[in-house]
Amino acid sequence: MAESAETASDVLLESSLPAAPLESILCTEELHRRPSRPPDHEKENHALVKLVSALADSPGTVLQTLAETILDITQCDSAGLSLLTSDGKTPDVCGTRFYWPAIAGTWNPHQGGGTPRNFGPCGDVLDQNRTLLFRHFERRYPYLLPVIPAAEECLLVPFYVAGEAVGTIWGIMHSDRRTFDAEDDRIMDSLGKFASSAYQALKHIEDLKIQVFEREKAEAEVRELARGLESKIRRLVEANVVGIVMWNLEGAITGANDAFLHMVQYNREDLASGRVRWADLTPAEWRGHDEQAVADLTATGIFQPFEKEYFRKDGSRVPALLGGALFEGSGNEGVAFVLDLSEQKRAERALRRSEAFLAEGQRLSQIGTFSWRVATDEVTWSEQLYRIYEFEIGVPVTLELIRTRVHPEDLSVLERMIDQARGDANDFEWQYRLVMPDHSIKYLHAVAHATRDQDDQLEYIAAIQDVTARQLSEEALDKARAQLTHVARVTSLGVLTASIAHELNQPLSGIITNASTCLRMLAADSPDLDGARETARRTIRDGNRASEVIARLRALFTKKDSTTELVDLNEATREVIALSSSDLQRSRVILRQELADNLPSVNGDRVQLQQVILNLLLNASDAMSDIDDRARHLVVSTTQDEGDRVRVTVRDVGVGLDPENTDRMFDAFYTTKSGGMGIGLSVSRSIVERHHGRLWVEPNDGPGATFTFSIPPDPARVPEAVHVMRSA
Amino acid sequence: MTIERSLVSVVDDDESVRESLPDLLRQFGFAARAFSSAEAFLESNFVGTTRCLVLDVAMPGMSGLDLQQELMRRHQEIPIVFITATGDQTVRPRVLAQGAVECLSKPFSETALLDALNAALRMR
Repeated sequence: MAESAETASDVLLESSLPAAPLESILCTEELHRRPSRPPDHEKENHALVKLVSALADSPGTVLQTLAETILDITQCDSAGLSLLTSDGKTPDVCGTRFYWPAIAGTWNPHQGGGTPRNFGPCGDVLDQNRTLLFRHFERRYPYLLPVIPAAEECLLVPFYVAGEAVGTIWGIMHSDRRTFDAEDDRIMDSLGKFASSAYQALKHIEDLKIQVFEREKAEAEVRELARGLESKIRRLVEANVVGIVMWNLEGAITGANDAFLHMVQYNREDLASGRVRWADLTPAEWRGHDEQAVADLTATGIFQPFEKEYFRKDGSRVPALLGGALFEGSGNEGVAFVLDLSEQKRAERALRRSEAFLAEGQRLSQIGTFSWRVATDEVTWSEQLYRIYEFEIGVPVTLELIRTRVHPEDLSVLERMIDQARGDANDFEWQYRLVMPDHSIKYLHAVAHATRDQDDQLEYIAAIQDVTARQLSEEALDKARAQLTHVARVTSLGVLTASIAHELNQPLSGIITNASTCLRMLAADSPDLDGARETARRTIRDGNRASEVIARLRALFTKKDSTTELVDLNEATREVIALSSSDLQRSRVILRQELADNLPSVNGDRVQLQQVILNLLLNASDAMSDIDDRARHLVVSTTQDEGDRVRVTVRDVGVGLDPENTDRMFDAFYTTKSGGMGIGLSVSRSIVERHHGRLWVEPNDGPGATFTFSIPPDPARVPEAVHVMRSA
Repeated sequence: MTIERSLVSVVDDDESVRESLPDLLRQFGFAARAFSSAEAFLESNFVGTTRCLVLDVAMPGMSGLDLQQELMRRHQEIPIVFITATGDQTVRPRVLAQGAVECLSKPFSETALLDALNAALRMR
């Protein structure tokens, strides 16, 4: 039946139908990816012996015996042989068709059928000269469609005689209940060799003997391997690193190592007596887990590891992780490992407790924490941080959400921090404000530490403290301090004014009195000309005296007793920054220090030089007080110039200079500020000049201005100066 | 006959005041004497004849206020017109409370001085 259908199909197919490509029906490579069943050498040997006997006793039926053997060993649905033939019956290596001399199993009724040499599965196997696994080959070879049931998978192996391919042996699965694996491949390969022998009948019986010998040798090797494996497993059991238990499904424990017995506090005698049953060791609430494990064992032969508790002999409980499998073929008995989890559970409890302590500590100290994985933007917040931000605990934290709370004036700082954090692993510290839904302001102080997680990904761990209360009291303190400073300044100005007034009022008083006298003398009926001349002279003298007072006052600024010492300008600068940092921070100035290493000391009045630095810092801060479209950057740097002079530079990004007034900036009482006296830069310049230095200002390329002063280094480093000092 | 002129004594450590003020007082028609310190005035023979004292507040040694108190202690009730060069606003109320006729800040106009002197002399 198959024969006639195929012949008819051949013609039809070659002339018209587009066939599925060969690659689409091949899946040979899968053989070695599929899980493989273990070899059953005993069964195989037995079959080979039977085949050899059949070959010896009844060569006429040996091919059918071969087909049945394939069926038996591979547990497939159909198995058979294809031989090349010219006439449809007689084997012929030059044949144009394969015919099927023997078929066992489902396809047995198709015995005697066949396929064409050049367009069929057998031909593909001989062309490629190797084993092939087909899936639904009728998709390419439609003439096989009537040969039913259809072949889900077909494993074909070529066999040869004297180097020439003469046919194939094959096995077929008609359903997906089982698929072929590497073991089938191996068996088929071995049976292919037998087929070759069978083909040559008795002439090559010697080959078979050799095969049997090789088989026995291989088996011996496998046994040896198994013994090695067994000793390794025994080592595991006896090492007592984990509990190992042998059991049956009825609830008995048939064997256990010391580790397990120690865990449940039973001894070997208890075990031998059969009193130790896993069913009895299990507390009631864990029985459901056991039942599930038994169900899994029955269905799949194994149960996946799960956690449960066992009763110890004294009734206390021990937490454990266990997993196991049924022994192959037993159907009832199996083995399991049992791991004591007491230590892990204790650690978990301790961890939970310390987490609780931490949360409470955060609540008390008003410190929240968060972690941020930069690569994934995964942010984790502590509960306290939710409370600080007044978000509902557990809502997903996004940057968008955070932005809704951050004070608008601090948003640019936040964005910059985020950009920097993404770019580089750095530790950060910053202060910012939140605007709460009730429009109140919160002050937060954040410290972030960069770290790498186990995957070497950048992660920030940060602590955020609500410093509102502290900030408010500091502000109150600052305000009080500012008021005090103002009072002090008014007082000292008052003192100065009184002193100036006294010095000037004396001669002015003389001038007015003399002038009055003079007028009266001249206005008399008989003018007293000599007296008038005398009083006029005194008027001029007193005028000169007043001008001398003013000259003395100026000298008071430029010639004043001062203490001279060696001054480290880096240290002096740092002190000034420390003093003014809260002032600068309140003005939202971002200050950067760039202090040079190995800066030489200068000789001078430390306090006066610090006044200059402070004055420059505060001027810079003032110059930026109206800047809101950019960050208020202030850079203080120290350097050494070509002449060994020490430079201190203060650079701002403020309103910059009015080119018309640059020269006047250093004049006394010149000011652009409503609250200022305009005396700062003038006094600063006189202080610097008294140190034989220079103070100047330059416009920046970008916004703002740069003030610089330079002072010669410590004269002790200059030989002439040393001489002068000694002689002085 | 000469009409006896009222004696106005000036006590001030500043020389230009001592030079100029007596001349102006004479132009007003007073007799005038100048002393460079409170001590010099007390040691002179003019304490009893002085009708009005023009007294500087701040001087080395005895201050103007010290002299005022010393005179009170001696029951020498001479009207006093204080003059001062400091801008200190607290001085004037203090000396007025102690009985001074007036306290003028230097520099002062001749009118202000004359008014103060007339007021002082009316007290007698």
